[in-house]
Amino acid sequence: MFKRTLTLGLTAGLLAGAASLVYQKVYAGSLGYDFADIATLPGIAAASVLGGLLAAVLYFLLTRWLGGRGEVLFNFVLMILTFASIVAPFAIKLPLEAEAPELFPGLIVPMHFFPALAWFTLKPLFLKPIQPIPTSA
Amino acid sequence: MKKGIFTVALIATLSTLFAFTLPVNWEIAPKYNLSFSTNGVSGIFKTFTGSIVFDEQNGAASRFDVSIDVNSINTGNGMQNKHAKSADWFDAAKYPQIRFVSKKIVKTNATYQVTGDLSLHGITREVTFPFTFLKNGGGATFGGLFTINRNDFKIGTPGGEVGEVIKLAVSVPVVKK
Repeated sequence: MFKRTLTLGLTAGLLAGAASLVYQKVYAGSLGYDFADIATLPGIAAASVLGGLLAAVLYFLLTRWLGGRGEVLFNFVLMILTFASIVAPFAIKLPLEAEAPELFPGLIVPMHFFPALAWFTLKPLFLKPIQPIPTSA
Repeated sequence: MKKGIFTVALIATLSTLFAFTLPVNWEIAPKYNLSFSTNGVSGIFKTFTGSIVFDEQNGAASRFDVSIDVNSINTGNGMQNKHAKSADWFDAAKYPQIRFVSKKIVKTNATYQVTGDLSLHGITREVTFPFTFLKNGGGATFGGLFTINRNDFKIGTPGGEVGEVIKLAVSVPVVKK
């Protein structure tokens, strides 16, 4: 179970990284700035994979402790953390040589959602659905 | 014969005189740096223009008339840039230029001191600051490090998270026109 969850996390991370790089190309093509010196290919790939692996560990722990409720909690936590993480691109101070820093959040914020999107997309391929939470009749 | 000698002597005298007294027109070269820093914020201005007439030996004939484009401010953060240009701070829409016009330049040992009018945020005040002038081949670099108090120019409100005393560092390479 843990191995499959980690594989899901790793695959989701890689997919998110690939999506981020494609988005960076599209962004640069339309707005003329790719911030490639700051958002580097290795940096984007590493951050995406790390996000996927952390999600995997969190998912494993929560579902092990709480079963079906753990999955519900995981979904909420993943989305809350994803939303909270978008503060960082707005707060970051870029090197002064970087042109148009006001365009930086527009590049990075969508990338923060890609690991979660990839996780939810790929999960049915890797993990069986956990028994639903019983509801009172 | 006498007339010829007199003419040559006059030309030689005038040439020597003008060689010492004619100030040089300098053109601002790329890669200048105008940076500022205070508690809570730091950054640069990216657009700097103006005319510089300067002679090391003749401060009286030297003159600076330079401007900074307020909209070229860059703190490294988009939100801070927008805030800095807003009416709360520089009010770039109303006061798009920071201008300095010198009135007096004097030599003080190895450095120089310039006094002039600094117009910023719609307020003009006389300021004095030291600067250096380092020759480098056919060009030179003006350098200066000084402070201003933003309250003197009603920039922002007194106190707050952003420091009131702003350190300014200027390095302007120039070439002869």
